[in-house]
Amino acid sequence: MACNGAGGCQSGCYKDEETTCDQPTTAPSETDSKSSSNLCIKCKLNDVVSGYGGIDEGRFCADCFRSNLFGKFRLAVTSNAMISPTDKVLVAFSGGPSSRVALQFVHDLQERAHKNFEASRDRSLPVFGVGVVFIDESSVLPIPSHEMEEAVEVINLIVSSLAPPRKELHFVPIETVYSSDSSDGKERLIELMNVVSDPTGREDMLLSLRMVALQKVASEFGYNRIVLGSCISRIASHVISATVKGQGYSLPADIQYVDARWEIPVVLPLRDCFAQEINMYCRLDSLKTIKLSTCPSSSINSLVSSFVTLLQEENPSRESTIVRTAGKLIPFHFNRIPEIIDGNVPLATRRRQKRYNLKSNESVSSESFCPLCNSPLDKSEIVDWSNHNNCRSSDTFYTSCCSSCQFQILPSDSTSMEKFYTDLPHSMVARANKVNNDKLNALREQIQDCLLSDGEDET
Amino acid sequence: MEGKRSVRMCCLCNERRASLSRPKTLEQICRECFYLAFEDEIHQIIVSNRLFIRGDRVAIGASGGKDSTVLAYVLSKLNRIHDYGLHLFLLSVDEGITGYRDDSLETVHRNQIQYGLPLKVVSYKDLYGWTMDEIVKLIGLKNNCTFCGVFRRQALDRGAAFLKADKLVTGHNADDIAETVLLNILRGDIARLSRCSSIITGEDGPIPRCKPFKYTYEKEIVMYAYFKKLDYFSTECIYSPNAYRGFAREFIKDLERIRSPFSSLFILFVCLFVIHNHVIAYRPRAILDIIKSGENFRISTTTKMPEQGTCERCGYISSQKWCKACVLLDGLNRGLPKLGIGRSRVAIGCKEENESHGGKSIESKQCGSLDF
Amino acid sequence: MQLTLEFGGGLELLCDSKKIHNVNVEFEQQNGEDKLTMKGLLSWVRTNLIKERPEMFMKGDTVRPGVLVLVNDCDWELSGQLNTSLEEKDVVVFISTLHGG
Repeated sequence: MACNGAGGCQSGCYKDEETTCDQPTTAPSETDSKSSSNLCIKCKLNDVVSGYGGIDEGRFCADCFRSNLFGKFRLAVTSNAMISPTDKVLVAFSGGPSSRVALQFVHDLQERAHKNFEASRDRSLPVFGVGVVFIDESSVLPIPSHEMEEAVEVINLIVSSLAPPRKELHFVPIETVYSSDSSDGKERLIELMNVVSDPTGREDMLLSLRMVALQKVASEFGYNRIVLGSCISRIASHVISATVKGQGYSLPADIQYVDARWEIPVVLPLRDCFAQEINMYCRLDSLKTIKLSTCPSSSINSLVSSFVTLLQEENPSRESTIVRTAGKLIPFHFNRIPEIIDGNVPLATRRRQKRYNLKSNESVSSESFCPLCNSPLDKSEIVDWSNHNNCRSSDTFYTSCCSSCQFQILPSDSTSMEKFYTDLPHSMVARANKVNNDKLNALREQIQDCLLSDGEDET
Repeated sequence: MEGKRSVRMCCLCNERRASLSRPKTLEQICRECFYLAFEDEIHQIIVSNRLFIRGDRVAIGASGGKDSTVLAYVLSKLNRIHDYGLHLFLLSVDEGITGYRDDSLETVHRNQIQYGLPLKVVSYKDLYGWTMDEIVKLIGLKNNCTFCGVFRRQALDRGAAFLKADKLVTGHNADDIAETVLLNILRGDIARLSRCSSIITGEDGPIPRCKPFKYTYEKEIVMYAYFKKLDYFSTECIYSPNAYRGFAREFIKDLERIRSPFSSLFILFVCLFVIHNHVIAYRPRAILDIIKSGENFRISTTTKMPEQGTCERCGYISSQKWCKACVLLDGLNRGLPKLGIGRSRVAIGCKEENESHGGKSIESKQCGSLDF
Repeated sequence: MQLTLEFGGGLELLCDSKKIHNVNVEFEQQNGEDKLTMKGLLSWVRTNLIKERPEMFMKGDTVRPGVLVLVNDCDWELSGQLNTSLEEKDVVVFISTLHGG
């Protein structure tokens, strides 16, 4: 990290980054006798670039940095069987650096697969398909309309300028969570969000709605994977904020490479990449990103993320320590790609998947989920329904939510609660009803389990 | 806004003037009702967690600070009024720090008389042949908290053994435990993370330790001590003067301050409405939420946990051949005080933490009290 | 205005290790308001009493989180915190919760 005295900053300072970025391989230090210490530890040919933080800070040259970062992505994809040749993958693209890099890497992967496909004789392995979705949240966030128009333009440009195969681009307003036949979706959404007064609650609610929207788009257009750009820094913040909100039980569900509790499994291939590395990558390759202006937030989430950023500045391995610690918590059974039984899938793919899925034999299964945030419910949060026969459906909904949502999102007086309930998108209400039905089924199964002598592990 | 002269009545008895707002419930209550509520909550915790059984000899780790002073006072009161049938003792550790521990020990000596509890003081000098003053003279102000923490833990166990105690209780409060949960995540200490939020620890060790204040807010402890005019000592340790200036503590305090936009309104009506039988929105809940998370963490069994054995040298529980205290002591006696430092630090890069660039460290109470 | 200020829980170390201060607070009238509020008192204390490490006592315009404030033995959260108005001969207590266990 240190600047090497008289020779000026060859690599150490942030200020120097821009020049380094423009000409990463022709930095002025080549003639410097001390430069051996500044050579990339991998290729030992080029000078290192720095300023990308994380545990690899200042170790690689620009090229090796790129391939190292892509390597982390690819390892996550292959070792968790995230993408198979027959898949159709939807990249959730916010325009920010993380999802920009996720899009780029998925694209690179697809391009390689495409080249292999062209080169192979029998063309037996198909190339997975890629689509991009942008969720427009301007109906509930104060985003100036001209900014949104600009963003749409930029995103169009980004996606269309990627080399073939062509990627379908979906612009979807967040109010799409309401069924398309109801024309008042936007009004209902605004009403719904207005009931939530707590800033943290609003952010968390929006996050849940965003996932509902992503799921809906994916399912409508036949995608079978959703790629999120969540990086290690983001996940570290999530670990802390979930802890602070009392979600210690459900936390492991959110931070794994694969999250298949949804209809369409969600994958996190950038789970091992630091935010600073991602920013560096965008700078090096001049990847265009957009940042929509939002008001400063006084939520727990933003307090946590500035806390984690502070810790990361103090110690470049802090974020990975946090995620590593949380990684030792037991994941859930849905934290892996469901095994393919379909006979049309190449045998090699199935075999590969089987191998990797074996690793996560230690997991927790959960039957109940919060209808709002879909986090698995702890036993203590599952309410005994026998006492709730005569309740209004809004009250029933309230009690079937996790305690964090109850506190952070749901209104505590029953009039507002009823209002909130009537404005909820159908899919969330349906989830709650499913919880209630499952509850009965679970009871039935329990009785059956008692009668059966031995267990079977098919799913 | 409201001036203070508009006197508000206690929402429990509605007879006396309210004196404080309880962080857990935001109820505005008078002193008398607060004493009752505070003591009763701790009684409930003791009963529901079965912390003691009749006839137990219980050593109270007493530092002379606010937490242990209130603990000694409340425990002896509860023992009396609820007839627990416990034999209570004060147990203090004399680290040998002039100008700090000698003063706080005077407080403990006064508590001994005030509460009528027998006191046992174990000193580093007697146990290890070294005072902290001497250790600091040799090793300087770096890593001194490591020595102190390791030595204190063992000293308390030895003192408790001397008293033939069945249980050792410490004054760790909800704020401390929430902070420890966070710190263990930040430091990657999975072994401590799995046990730090338990109300009873060390059941497999020589003497189980328990924390009756696990759910008690620091604010209430200090308020209780203030209103009751309890005699406690509140000076920071001279060898870690900025120890309480940690990131994590400040972060938790900041969290507490985040209030929902409704909360000012709720403060007014909190005694009138308790809707859905749920506690109403307010932020100090963050502390209990963190503890709840800590309790709900399920640690993978494939994660290697250190195996407990006994130290070949002194017979104390240890996962290594020698216990940590013996390793440190051996280093001191051979004039190689660096021996044993940093080996137990799990996370990468943790070594720099205590050196702290801007005078801040992620830890707040480095001196042993994080060690459960 | 005559006030009695008390510092405890270690805060006394920031003002010459003296726990009780009987003070006469001169305050400037602002916007026609002739009342002294806790907000005004805090800034007066910071300039006139705190001798070292003011960050141990204050953060922004209020007390540092973890410092308890009582006005006439009543938690200031009941009287409107910074907006609490003060009167002649009031007793204001500041206690830090952050020291030692």
